[in-house]
Amino acid sequence: MTQFISKRDLLSWLGRLTEKHIIIAPTKVAELNLFQKVNRVEEIILDFNNTALSPKECLFPTTETLFYVEVERKDGQVELIPVTIDQKTVIFGLRPCDARGIALLDRPFLKEPADALYQQHRDKITLVGLACLTACPECFCTSMGSAPDDPSNLDILLTEVEEGYIVQIVTEKGKALLPEELLSTTQAPPPAPPSPKAVPTEGLVQRTQQVFDTPYWDRLADRCIHCNLCAYVCPTCYCFDVRDYTDKGKTERVRSWESCQSLGFTRQAGNIEPRNTKGARLRQRFAHKLLYFPKEFGALGCVGCGRCVRVCPVNIDIREIITDIQKLGAKGEA
Amino acid sequence: MKPENPFLPYLATLQNVTDLTCDVKLFTLEFNDSAVRESFDYKVGQFVFLSVFGVGESPFTFVSVPYKTGLEHAIRRVGTVSNALHELEPGAIVGVRGPFGNHFPLEEYKGKNIFIIGGGIGMAPLRPIITTVVDHREDYGDLVIINGARTPKDLVFAPEFDTWAKSPGTRLELTVDRGDENWKGRVALVPSVVSELKLSPQNAIAITCGPPIMIHFTLIELKKLGFTPNQIVTTLERKMKCGLGKCARCNVGLKYVCQDGPVFTLEQISELIEEF
Repeated sequence: MTQFISKRDLLSWLGRLTEKHIIIAPTKVAELNLFQKVNRVEEIILDFNNTALSPKECLFPTTETLFYVEVERKDGQVELIPVTIDQKTVIFGLRPCDARGIALLDRPFLKEPADALYQQHRDKITLVGLACLTACPECFCTSMGSAPDDPSNLDILLTEVEEGYIVQIVTEKGKALLPEELLSTTQAPPPAPPSPKAVPTEGLVQRTQQVFDTPYWDRLADRCIHCNLCAYVCPTCYCFDVRDYTDKGKTERVRSWESCQSLGFTRQAGNIEPRNTKGARLRQRFAHKLLYFPKEFGALGCVGCGRCVRVCPVNIDIREIITDIQKLGAKGEA
Repeated sequence: MKPENPFLPYLATLQNVTDLTCDVKLFTLEFNDSAVRESFDYKVGQFVFLSVFGVGESPFTFVSVPYKTGLEHAIRRVGTVSNALHELEPGAIVGVRGPFGNHFPLEEYKGKNIFIIGGGIGMAPLRPIITTVVDHREDYGDLVIINGARTPKDLVFAPEFDTWAKSPGTRLELTVDRGDENWKGRVALVPSVVSELKLSPQNAIAITCGPPIMIHFTLIELKKLGFTPNQIVTTLERKMKCGLGKCARCNVGLKYVCQDGPVFTLEQISELIEEF
C-alpha cells in the first residue's frame, strides 16, 4: 500500500504553497525546460525529461553578494553588512540525479567552517522530486550512486501514475510541507524505473590516478575551445571567484561561478599561470570529479545527468573518458 | 571570536606604512575590535586575506612574529590588491580574514642548524623564522641566512641585517644579480652561493622561498649537498579565493595550498601528483 495524491490536489497544494514560499519549478522558456520561480502553477511543466540546467543556482547562485560595505563619509568608518536569506523555498520537480548533485555540493560548502550563505539557502529549501519514467540518451545516474527512482536526497519523491502521483515522504521537512489529509492510499504498483546505460566506475578513482601523468589529456584537450559550458551545466561544479564591485559609492563583495577550464583560473599576480596548458586544465576537471573529490568527500563528483555530454560543442564525453581511463589504467599504460 | 560568516573579514586600521624598497612596503595593522585584538593568534608561515574594500582581497603572509604585538606584512606591488594597498596611508581601514594554512614547525627545528635561503620578496615568510631564531638563540644551532635580490636596493629587510649578523652563531650572506657603485658584496645567483658555502646537511633544515626559478636551482644544489627531501622546506603559492578549501582554486593535485600548505617539505612536494 502506497500513498497517493491526485494531480488536481497536487497542483492546488502547490498553488497554496506559493503564498508563503518561493516555488522554483520546471517551466518552458522558449524551447528550453528551465527551473524558474513560478507565480501560477499553470506555468509548471510536468511532462519533461530533464531541465537544461540543474537547480544548483538556487543554493549557489551564478552571482551572489556576500556582504555590502558601508563607508561613513566623515570619519571613514567602515561597516560590513552581511546578506541573510529569509525566504522559504520549495524546489519542485527536480530529478533524483539533481538531488544527488545538491547532496554532493553540501560536502564542500557545509564542511567546517560552513559557508554561511549556502547554509542559509540549504536550510530554507525543501526538495520535492519527480522520479524519472524515461532515461535521457546521455544519462548514467545508476553508475554514479543514484537511480531514476532514488528518494534518498529528497524531502519528498513523487512518481507519476495514472491520474496522479505516488508520494514518498522522505524527511520530516517533507512531512511538514505536505498535509496528510491530501494523501490517499493506492494499490497501484509504481511503474518500473527505466534503465540508464551504465559506465564502468569500479576502481575508477585509482585508475584516474594511474593515468594522471599520461599524454592522454593533452590529446583529448586539443579540441576543447574553453567554452566552459560543461561547468555551466554541471550540477556538481562549484569552483568560484570572489570580487568587489562599487557602484554609486556602494561596494559589494560578490561571489560568482568560475570554471577550471577558463584561461586565468590559476593566474597569479606577476602573470604566473601554473596550469598553463589545455591538457592540464582538462585533466583538472576530470581529476577533480573522479579523483580529488572522491578522495576528500568519499563519492565520485558526478551524478550522471549527462548534461555536459549534451552541450559540449566538440563532443568531449565523460562516459568515453571514464571508459578510456579504465582501459588505459588496466593496460598499465600509466 | 570567529565570525559566523567565514567570508566576513575583521576590520583593521593601518598603523604604519614604510618603504622597504622601491616596490615593497611594510604595513603594520591593528584590529579595530579590541576583542579580536586580544583573541587573534597565528603561527609563523600562516597567512591572511587582506581586503581593500572596493578592490578585492588577496592572501599575504605575516612577516611579524606572534609573540610580539603588531601584525606586519611586507608586500610587493605586483597585482591589483597589492597595488591598491600601496596607495593607502596610515589610518586607512582594511579587512583581514584568517589566519589560514599550516605553518613552519619551529618546535621541530629546535636544536638544528637553520639555513634560510631567500630571494627578493621571498624573504617575507622567512623573516619571522629568522626573528624567532635570533630571539631564542640558545634553542637553535647555527643560523645561516643567504639573501639574494636583483640589486642592492631590492634587499627587503636591509635595516635588520646588522641585528641578524650580530646574533651569535649566525652568518649572513648577501648576494645580488647586479651590483651598484656602492656594492662591495657578492654578485652571484642564490643557488651558486648555496653550492659555494657547502652547507652541511648534518642535523640541518634548509628553508627556501623566492622566485620559482631560484627555488628550482636551489633545490638542485641542496640535493647535491646531500640534503634529504624532508630536510628541505619551501612554500607554494597559488591563486585562491577562500582559504577554506571550498573555492577549489588552489589545489596542486590532491592538496589545497590554502589548507595543506603553504609550507611543504620537498618530500611532500614530490608526493603531489600534479607538477608544482
